[in-house]
Amino acid sequence: MLTDLASDLRFRWRALFRRAEVERELDDELRFHLEREAAKLERLGLSAAEAARRARLEFGGVDRVKEETRDARGVRVLETILRDLRYAIRGLRARPGVALAVIATLALGIGANAAMFGIVDRLVFRAPPLMRDPAHVNRVYLQYSFRGMEITNGSIEYRRYLDLSASTTLSQSAAYAQADLAIGTGQDAHEMPVDVVSASFFDFFDAHPVIGRFFDRAADSAHSGGSVVVLGNALWKSRYGGRRDVLGQQLQVGSVNATIIGVAPAALAGNSGTRPASAFIPVTAYAESELPEYDKDYSWGWLTMIIRRKPGLTIEKASTDLTRLYALSWEKERALAPDRGPLSLAKPKAIVAPLQALRGPETDRSTSILLSICVVAAIVLLIACANVANLLLSRAVSRKREIAVRLALGASRRHLISQLLIESLTLAFLGALAGVLVAEGGQAVLRGLLLPGKSSIGVLDDPRTLLFACLAALLAGLLTGIVPAFQSGRDDLVTALKSGVREGTRQRSRTRSALLLAQGALSVFLLVGAGLFVRSLQNVASIRLGYDVDPLLYVSTDMRGVHLDKERDIALKARLEEEARTIPGVERATQVLTIPLRQMRTQGFSVPGIDSASHLGQFLMQMGTVDFFRTMGTRILRGRGFDSTDRRESPRSIVVSEGMAQKLWPRENALGKCVKVGGDTMPCATVIGVAENIKASDITSDDALQYYLSIEQQRPAGAALFVRTRGRAAQRAEQIRKRLQSLMPGPSYVTVMPMRNIVDGARDSWRMGAAMFLLFGLLALVLAAIGLYSVIAYNVAQRTHELGLRIALGAHAREVLRMVLGEGLRFGLAGIGIGAAIALAVGHWMQPLLYRESAHDPLVFLTVGAVLAIAAIAASAIPASRATRVDPSIALRTE
Amino acid sequence: MAEAFDAAKLELPQGTLDLLILKALSLEPQHGWAISERIRQVSAAALQIPQGSLYPALHRLERRGWIKAKWGESDNNRRAKFYELTRTGRHQLEAETDAWRRLTVAVRLVLDMR
Repeated sequence: MLTDLASDLRFRWRALFRRAEVERELDDELRFHLEREAAKLERLGLSAAEAARRARLEFGGVDRVKEETRDARGVRVLETILRDLRYAIRGLRARPGVALAVIATLALGIGANAAMFGIVDRLVFRAPPLMRDPAHVNRVYLQYSFRGMEITNGSIEYRRYLDLSASTTLSQSAAYAQADLAIGTGQDAHEMPVDVVSASFFDFFDAHPVIGRFFDRAADSAHSGGSVVVLGNALWKSRYGGRRDVLGQQLQVGSVNATIIGVAPAALAGNSGTRPASAFIPVTAYAESELPEYDKDYSWGWLTMIIRRKPGLTIEKASTDLTRLYALSWEKERALAPDRGPLSLAKPKAIVAPLQALRGPETDRSTSILLSICVVAAIVLLIACANVANLLLSRAVSRKREIAVRLALGASRRHLISQLLIESLTLAFLGALAGVLVAEGGQAVLRGLLLPGKSSIGVLDDPRTLLFACLAALLAGLLTGIVPAFQSGRDDLVTALKSGVREGTRQRSRTRSALLLAQGALSVFLLVGAGLFVRSLQNVASIRLGYDVDPLLYVSTDMRGVHLDKERDIALKARLEEEARTIPGVERATQVLTIPLRQMRTQGFSVPGIDSASHLGQFLMQMGTVDFFRTMGTRILRGRGFDSTDRRESPRSIVVSEGMAQKLWPRENALGKCVKVGGDTMPCATVIGVAENIKASDITSDDALQYYLSIEQQRPAGAALFVRTRGRAAQRAEQIRKRLQSLMPGPSYVTVMPMRNIVDGARDSWRMGAAMFLLFGLLALVLAAIGLYSVIAYNVAQRTHELGLRIALGAHAREVLRMVLGEGLRFGLAGIGIGAAIALAVGHWMQPLLYRESAHDPLVFLTVGAVLAIAAIAASAIPASRATRVDPSIALRTE
Repeated sequence: MAEAFDAAKLELPQGTLDLLILKALSLEPQHGWAISERIRQVSAAALQIPQGSLYPALHRLERRGWIKAKWGESDNNRRAKFYELTRTGRHQLEAETDAWRRLTVAVRLVLDMR
């Protein structure tokens, strides 16, 4: 079968691309036949001439036989297409201006979509590289009810992972997480993304170590596993120059001093949607270094769990069985932590979901924004297509004569239409080619916005994206070609031949106006979206956070296995705080327990006279030293912040947020009240001050319930630092890090992070939405303006005769100008009207993506309207001024 | 002479030409003219196919991979295009011959029905 196919293809290939040779052979073959036949007839006694005639007669028409033989080669259709293709390319070279405009327009449209596709495909559709049979692989999420709320969580505790892995519906299960860990020691140490994986993780992939081996179950077992590391390919090359003798060497990874046992292949970059792993270490080795009792209870959910269903087992079966095991596991957890709700209330449920995080049950704003940006990219392509269809239509008008002549000469309409389609497809594919280059460049920009810190991915080396670009080109080619093709197929032959180029048919100009309006309306729609997102971003940026951002630097420590007892830890943090104050440029410093927007701590408390006070809401706890409020820039509204009187031996102090004060003591003065943090049996902490509310958990949340305790009095382990600098903290970060590092014992180290990065990270999805809508909106505006320009310019050219007549009859330049500008402006206004109507109609879909901004904000609509009107006037200004300069004598003489 | 048999010439049923060509080639490689001559002789000129229609059929069979062509010397030392059966072609010939036999037997049975 396969060899048949191969010989068939070889035959057709030769017929198509060695046409001259094949034809010559056919000539030879037929001539040989005729000569032999004639020779035979001569032997029978006929004259040479008569023999040749009879031979021909017997044979049938030579040309007909040749035609039939050509048909038998099975490449007829392709031959026609090739010929049309050559014709199309000749035609495009004759009018390079139009061709370039079309290609550039499509390049922008297709490029934008290819770039978006490359990103969305990776986030939503594509399985991780090398994954074996991804159709059977799923990710497990856990869901339970808590106080009437459904809580869905993709982060799973180690012990839970073991409990669920027992399911008989699974043929494999694995757990992993990614952590930023310092690799190496001393000056050599750099923080890199490290995949913390179970040994079974590698079994999900068709991957073999480049050298050495992956770790096995023995290395990945609780409390008896090994400290081993598998290097990522990139790290192996960059740090070890790809040497083979790395096996057996020691490498410090985070707190684990590990032995290198293997090197992963380059394509095994870890799990999808995250940064490629520099190294892989066992779950157990990492967990032991972080929290030695990690496998004793269910307090630390940090793992992503993936499973492979047994062949033929549905997702429903797997989730039913996992839910059963989750319920058993929940009971085990309740035995350890009685405050967990009973099964009947908690209703624990396991969800078996697609592997890609964006398709899982935990969706967030970024997902919806990403999807809406895809819609936006598709709209940009539509605008580009409308634009190109218009350009081709105007070209079809000026080629009317040519087409009529060809029809008169006997070309079939079907052939003509297919030829026009081939022309637009050629343009579309050239556009796609340029578009892929645009995407390659543009994707770097998009990646920066959409996938911060993600792996470097290209367009040119990615077959799926290239295929997508080809499909987009096919679609664009058909969309843009179909209107002009059928319009020209409809023309009446006689009138077309008789009339000049001047008269365009009404039908055609209606089509063109409709296309133009569609462009205008869609770009208004996109620009309104851009405006709404920009306003949302402004609103988000102007949120009062309750702490300063630019001057703050967060300093945390990573002990890397250096074990300090609590007293020595507290002493170290105090030394760091003291040292920080002495660094030039540092204004203040404080120790803290948590970092806003990143970490949250809660602790139960009781208040005399109020029943179960800590159940009135989620109260977030923070701790600080003397300078805490002045360092953070959080205002004290009443009373005072911590000061030197809040010493270890003095009575406990607490500062509460305004929201907490109102919640607990609505009509009373909070100052002087007693809060027993930790429960009834604890001593009173006296409220010494009321602070403003801060955004502690999320930048757009309505957080209001917070309280602050003194670090000197509470003496917690594991405190971190905030340092307040003059000017921007980012500029002094490295200097501060170096000074503080000198105090750190052994391989432990400090990391610094400007608060600006954390706040910007929290604003990312807003920034992304605004930037993408603005980018695509402006692109749409430019395309629409070009479209308007080309139509008006074309109309002016068509009306040269009429305009010349008007001018000859005494029309003022100003009147002509007004006429042409008026035409452009009418298009603009109609586009604004339709686009605004669309935007108003679909506003409710946008609303959830906005922050304190109505989807019907009149300011945005008015601004966009003004921008588009200006663009319309600008686009028609050049043709308008050209119209006023029409020389009546020349205009009247044409044709 | 050929004319004498004109009245007895038969129209070829659809698709039989391929079978005849394959059969003609089953003994040895031949060029187009020789194939047409052979069919004419063996069928006692009862089957006279228009010589021209041989060539589209030959090219179609070549594309299907049932026969292959190469240029060689003819008996009068002229360059000619010789066709020969491929392995697939030979299988095809057997299959089609078999099918044809069964068909003719069946048709005869029906026609002889009383």
